[in-house]
Amino acid sequence: MNFAAPLLLSLKLSSVTTLLLLVLGVPFAYWLVFTKFRWKFLVESVVALPLVLPPTVLGFYLLIVIGANSFVGQWYESIFNKPLAFSFQGLVLGSFLYSLPFAVQPIQTAFSSVDKKLLEASWSLGRSNIYTFFRVILPLSRHGIITGCVLSFAHTLGEFGVILMIGGNIPGITRVASVAIYDEVQSLNYGTANMYAAILLSFSFIILALVYFTNRRFTRTM
Amino acid sequence: MLSINLKKTWNSFVLDVSFDIPRGKITALFGPSGAGKSSILRLICGLEMAEDGFISNGNETWFDRAKGINLHPQQRSVGFVFQDYALFPHMTVEKNVAYGVKEKWRMKEIKDLIDIVGLSGYERHYPAQLSGGQKQRVSLIRAIARKPDILLLDEPFSALDWQTRIQLQDDVKNIITQFNVTTMYVTHDVSEVYKLANHVIVLESGKEVKRGTPEEVFLGKRLSTRVQVTGKVVGIEHDSIMASVTILHADQFFKTLIDTEELKSLNLAIGDDVIVGVKSSDVILFKI
Repeated sequence: MNFAAPLLLSLKLSSVTTLLLLVLGVPFAYWLVFTKFRWKFLVESVVALPLVLPPTVLGFYLLIVIGANSFVGQWYESIFNKPLAFSFQGLVLGSFLYSLPFAVQPIQTAFSSVDKKLLEASWSLGRSNIYTFFRVILPLSRHGIITGCVLSFAHTLGEFGVILMIGGNIPGITRVASVAIYDEVQSLNYGTANMYAAILLSFSFIILALVYFTNRRFTRTM
Repeated sequence: MLSINLKKTWNSFVLDVSFDIPRGKITALFGPSGAGKSSILRLICGLEMAEDGFISNGNETWFDRAKGINLHPQQRSVGFVFQDYALFPHMTVEKNVAYGVKEKWRMKEIKDLIDIVGLSGYERHYPAQLSGGQKQRVSLIRAIARKPDILLLDEPFSALDWQTRIQLQDDVKNIITQFNVTTMYVTHDVSEVYKLANHVIVLESGKEVKRGTPEEVFLGKRLSTRVQVTGKVVGIEHDSIMASVTILHADQFFKTLIDTEELKSLNLAIGDDVIVGVKSSDVILFKI
């Protein structure tokens, strides 16, 4: 069995999920900060659910929703000619939902902390909301965006319960590093499990240290 | 001419004002904290919306509740100078000033503006590297660079020490005069009104109580309580100026209001000698 395959799959899953969360999480966080929608708190609660839910609960319901007998599962299979559950795409969907609060909340906090006077100054200088977003809000929130991305990446990298529920343990397709550790321990291959665990631990530590270092530099320059 | 008729309620506070602002002049909105001065500027700028009334700038209607018109701040030709500067912290002085300028060919004008306020050499500095006075100068030319019809200044000197404040007042007056921009200026400082404003509107609890030139508003047309003194500055320390004075002119009578109990305790009779005390906050000094 290829030792690196689960690690590469984990990296691929984390990268795709983080990219998706960045593309969709930024406008979503913006909406959460600036909307006057009265039921916003319900949306925020749904987004935050993965923080408190056991991953198996999220995985179970996802399996129900995207399983082969479900409407979504059948619709997906009719278009792409393959099932969504137990596929890499299914893992991306699960990881996206599971890491959503880790991406959205830091970005939302960063957007909220931009001084409203700066937005008003931008508007009073004749600039549109979109221009203000790209020239004022986004640059001043970059620490929150970086934090959101890195946390999503690290969280997806360490994801286990959801993946096992909706992806199982298919080598090369859904067998990510965290599942591989579990698998190796079950087979009493503690040495291999230890190598996977040590690599994940080191990698997670390095990216978190990088985030804190970047944020410290950012705070100093402001 | 900027015509304003605005009504807005915040809990128990009601703002209800109606006035015209003459073109090319500096009009001060004067009054105590909570009189509604800053709110008027925010309503004119479009940062808040009134419940009723209208705002028109010449032939252009910015807000008209009855007609359902409410232009966004971006669509109103205003420049807003905030009390705490509101400079973009991640942009240099040059980028801040150029922020509202959409034409690239006007970059030379930006450099000239920076030069006018004495900030040449600071173009690539960030706001965090500037003093309070320098920040407010940047804020002022940033608002003016867009060439607005109306310039709104919300207590622009209140965060500065008195020396910077006095110097900046001169600069502001020069710039506003040079660009001939209609200006509304919020303050609760009488001396600032005298120094900067052509007209003053006095507000109390959301209502206009007086308007006119600073002399008309603060001294009264009949000058019944006016005293003129001249003198020399003999000392400047912390937040006060000491001057030796000679009375040039005083009207024959001063009238002061005190309550009956106080009057009894003073035991005053006609012909008694008295000392006239004047609060230092009511004294205005001009350089001559």
